[in-house]
Amino acid sequence: MKLRSLWKGILLVTLSAFLIFFITAAGCFAFGCYVSDWGRGWSAPVDQISSTLTRGEEDYIFTGDDLLGDRWAMLLNQEGRVVWSRNKPEELPEEYTLQDVVSFTRWYLEDYPVLCWTREDGVLVVGSPKGSVWKHDVNMEMSYLLKMPYWFLGIFLLALVGVLGLARVTLGRWFRQEQQVRDAARSGWINGVSHDIRTPLSVVMGYAAQMEQSPALPPEEKHRASAIRTQSQMIRDLVNDLNLTMRLDCDMQALRKESLQPEVFLRQIAADFLNGGMGDGYDLEMHLPQTPLPRLWGDPFLLRRAVNNLLTNCVRHNPDGCTICLGAKEEKGRLVLWVEGGTVKKAQSPEPSQPLDQEGEPAHGTGLRLVAQIAAAHGGKAEFRPGPPYRCILRLPFAKK
Amino acid sequence: MAYEILIVDDEPALQRMVGEILAQAGYRTRSASTCTQALEQVKAAPPDGVLLDIMLPDGDGFSLLGKLRAVRDFPVLFLSARDEDEARLRGLGLGADDYITKPFLPQELLLRLGAVLRRVYREEPSAPWLGDTRIDWGKGTLRRQGEEIPLTAKEYALLKKLWEARGNIVTVDALCSALWEGPLVGYDNTLMVHIRRLREKLEADPSHPRYLLTVRGLGYRLKQEDKP
Repeated sequence: MKLRSLWKGILLVTLSAFLIFFITAAGCFAFGCYVSDWGRGWSAPVDQISSTLTRGEEDYIFTGDDLLGDRWAMLLNQEGRVVWSRNKPEELPEEYTLQDVVSFTRWYLEDYPVLCWTREDGVLVVGSPKGSVWKHDVNMEMSYLLKMPYWFLGIFLLALVGVLGLARVTLGRWFRQEQQVRDAARSGWINGVSHDIRTPLSVVMGYAAQMEQSPALPPEEKHRASAIRTQSQMIRDLVNDLNLTMRLDCDMQALRKESLQPEVFLRQIAADFLNGGMGDGYDLEMHLPQTPLPRLWGDPFLLRRAVNNLLTNCVRHNPDGCTICLGAKEEKGRLVLWVEGGTVKKAQSPEPSQPLDQEGEPAHGTGLRLVAQIAAAHGGKAEFRPGPPYRCILRLPFAKK
Repeated sequence: MAYEILIVDDEPALQRMVGEILAQAGYRTRSASTCTQALEQVKAAPPDGVLLDIMLPDGDGFSLLGKLRAVRDFPVLFLSARDEDEARLRGLGLGADDYITKPFLPQELLLRLGAVLRRVYREEPSAPWLGDTRIDWGKGTLRRQGEEIPLTAKEYALLKKLWEARGNIVTVDALCSALWEGPLVGYDNTLMVHIRRLREKLEADPSHPRYLLTVRGLGYRLKQEDKP
């Protein structure tokens, strides 16, 4: 996949370079045509034809018929009278005024495109068939001509920016498409695995919980059943975290944000945590300010998940019980939400963009990484301090007024 | 009354496990592995409630929900391995009474199923006991040791809210929402006054409450005790 992308990139850059080259060359050509007299040499040089016309003793001698080809020629003397001609169309007069000469040197003579060459004995006029040559008198003020390099450079840069922009958009789209395909495959795989593991895990958890409460089993067996149930719950939480973290990674989790009152929200999470029996054996203290905090604009499902992960983390790392503090305050225009309690042996601060799974290593700290991802998805940040006491801080922006 | 629950799931192990859990809790159960089987069973004899999986061999639970409800309007709880928001919202949006994600703890299933059945069939006794006090919801009074103690409207609403969640913490915010349909702001002191008055009517020693307990920083909890 990477090699294919590389080839595509090389191809695109090469095409871009060619495009830039051709646009520049076309600009040069157009400019050259416009300002030079290159177009006037549309036939054999008139000076050469002139050199083949010499004055004999009685008449002119012309040896340049080959050079003349299908054209005609005439020599006007100082008075404007035709003193020599070759193949001259019959409709053309034998005598020309000064105005006539000025006119046809710039434009056409009776629609014949002509070129002129001054000689000591007059003016040699060489004409081509009607409609065979386009003549245009070109002139330009020097000031404009001197500005031409800047214009040229400007057009070149414009073309360059245009092509590079196009290349970036196209490349970006290609890479995004490939990324989306990869993400979809990864997410689909994890989704499938998590889906397939849920039903067997339900059975394991269900029977383990039943055995835990069975009066027929001795305490040691109940203890074992309890361990199975607890470990199954950990697998469930890991699967849930993996799934969500994957969705956040791949931008597949739509944020359903709403306005939340932080104190109300946190009290409900704490109450649900205790009601669910997770806090048995732990003291939960709430640290909330007396005055109401500004409202928060966030996804309640995700934020609840983040706070729950932090609370669960304290419980998991302190099986002998501890005091867990859940608090919130306003600091520097942001909501600072913290969970504190006990100690955690290894408290690293995972980055939201950190790869889920290092090569050859199991995915540790998925729960905390998910917290960091959720904070980032809300425009905030998560910090983890090993302590003691272990402290996790979420800094989140308030809702815009 | 033993409610009959239809378990619709294509996984036999899960069917059996859920069946056993429900049976132990006093429910009668039936099972179906496909949409067709479920529909046939419901048409033959509608159950009191259905636990419905989403992914079934011959269709999906979302479509089946409408067909089942067309037969009779009984409570339906989704029991699914699909944990995405979209699936949950779709299921609840279609009118399911709850959505439980696999894997689940048996206790969670029983509590949520029980809550739904209580709500739908209103099996609550009209005069339950709280310790040695009887709550008469119909009259809006408490009766203790032969004495009838009337409740004010706020005390009644407060007690009702706590009773519905008995055993669990109810936050001050939830209580304020139940009483004044608004957030806590400005009502915290008033709520404490109502709680104190309710304790005076409910508790033998209001200074050392036995039933209506304070959970510091969070709210209150009505401790559940069986009928004496």
